[in-house]
Amino acid sequence: MFHPSQTQPKDRSVKTRLPLLALAFSLALSLAGSPAFAADKLKVLLDWFVNPDHAPLIVAREGGFFERAGLDVELVAPADPSAPPKLVAAGHADIAISYQPNLHLIVKEGLPLTRIGTLVETPLNSLVVLADGPIKSIADLKGRKVGFSVGGFEDALLGKMLESAGLSLDDVTLINVNFSLSPALITGQVDAVIGAFRNFEMTQLDIEKRPGMAFYPEENGVPMYDELIFLARNSSLDDDRLKRFLAAVEMATVYLTNNPKKALTLFLKAHPDLDNELNRRAWFDTLPRFAKRPAALDAGRYERFAAFMKERGLIEKIVPVETYAKAIR
Amino acid sequence: MTGLLRAGVWLLAILVVWQAAVFLFEPPHYILPGPGRVAHRLIADYPLLLRHGRITLTEICLGLLLGTALGMSTALVMRLFPAAQQLIQPVLIVSQALPVFAIAPLLVLWFGYGLGSKVAMTTLIIYFPVASSLHDGLGRTEPGLIDLARLWHADRFQQIALFRLPSAVPALISGMRVAVTVAPIGAVVGEWVGASSGLGFLMLRASSRFQTDQVFASLFVLAVIGLVLRSGFDLAVSRYAAWVVETP
Repeated sequence: MFHPSQTQPKDRSVKTRLPLLALAFSLALSLAGSPAFAADKLKVLLDWFVNPDHAPLIVAREGGFFERAGLDVELVAPADPSAPPKLVAAGHADIAISYQPNLHLIVKEGLPLTRIGTLVETPLNSLVVLADGPIKSIADLKGRKVGFSVGGFEDALLGKMLESAGLSLDDVTLINVNFSLSPALITGQVDAVIGAFRNFEMTQLDIEKRPGMAFYPEENGVPMYDELIFLARNSSLDDDRLKRFLAAVEMATVYLTNNPKKALTLFLKAHPDLDNELNRRAWFDTLPRFAKRPAALDAGRYERFAAFMKERGLIEKIVPVETYAKAIR
Repeated sequence: MTGLLRAGVWLLAILVVWQAAVFLFEPPHYILPGPGRVAHRLIADYPLLLRHGRITLTEICLGLLLGTALGMSTALVMRLFPAAQQLIQPVLIVSQALPVFAIAPLLVLWFGYGLGSKVAMTTLIIYFPVASSLHDGLGRTEPGLIDLARLWHADRFQQIALFRLPSAVPALISGMRVAVTVAPIGAVVGEWVGASSGLGFLMLRASSRFQTDQVFASLFVLAVIGLVLRSGFDLAVSRYAAWVVETP
């Protein structure tokens, strides 16, 4: 190892040598601090800005689970939620977080991506109205305005939910309110919003003293699906890093299930800007939603949802699940 | 006719370069679709594009009318009452300095998710070029003409209406050219943050459905709208303000 202090002439005074010694010391420290081998870099694109939905990833990074798996994981929040799959397909990152309904659209458009794991294994998406408003059931939405944040499939979910109550999409006006789901509902610009996350927007409304009421897609005709999934390029499926990544996420998920408060501290230490009532409450609302077996695949669930997407006219044909969803072993 | 020919040549050149790039670099279609794919979309989605395009065009035209009216009145008020200028100038500058994209979500909450917010956004984006160009134009009247106005005892209003305004027309036309060209930005930004129709909405939806070819098809329609508006304006200028000659 190179020690700058040793190269100095012997007759130098301690005073002049002090900074050099300090430099050598800090160099030695920094070398000792890094693992014996260089960790493999892995770039993961989130679906949205960091929020409690990403708890297993943040905890895996902050709690050293990635490091122990020999991974140096970089988590990047996108400016546009539809961008991550395209960026991974184009080779700009290794893993994208996306939504299962999106996966079926991705397959239809021919993006070379495969689902390799699940982050959140129940739907979070829900149809939300104000609890003290005039809408008490889905049937009351007739002639009303429904806001949504363009995800590409909200009309399919809403259409099915309306049909379960004897209405159709023609009975409501759909309005894209983009990132302002809660504000649009609170200000009365729309009578309901679809695409609100039950663990986040519902809490947000509650904090604003305008509590909401949620109708869940899976309880109103829509088949069950994974809200958040991991996507990787088809050509990278044999990459050992993916396997290690999913194992670390699994460890972190079990850790935060066992130690929710300690995990929350880790999360908020890494993202002090998120330390507020909303995120603290959303944290505990999100805990039961995480996949305890992120690498496991329920092929039937994907088949059933593909059939639903076809029924809603969003995809034209159903392809075998094995071609777009895999359990990495 | 020569203008049309020139546009045709340009379009052809762009198509050739585009096709060549797609042929050489073979980008995946969800990154850069080829001209053929986009053309196919234009034909297949023709009714859809027409419906959304018509809505965006309406927003642009209403915004142009309102923005021009507001911009011109502001410039006239500032010239008529120099005291008002001190008050209005900062507002005028701020209206342009604030990024539309940042205040768009607010405008949508105030004016609703319908036509109103898009017209407001378009108005806002063209207000500055119209107001500032006319204001400058009104201040650049030939001194001889102002002397003449004084000799004829023209009052403040007559001086503006009969002497300053006609001389300001060339400057106003320059400002209007900018306004007509940038107006679609306002409408599309408005549709981006909240709408149920229009080309901006269509592009956003296509993008989240991974249909990049439809994004390009919408952009094409938007480009056509931009070119038609601009040529329409130039045509109107050559017909009604032919005396505004450009030195070759």
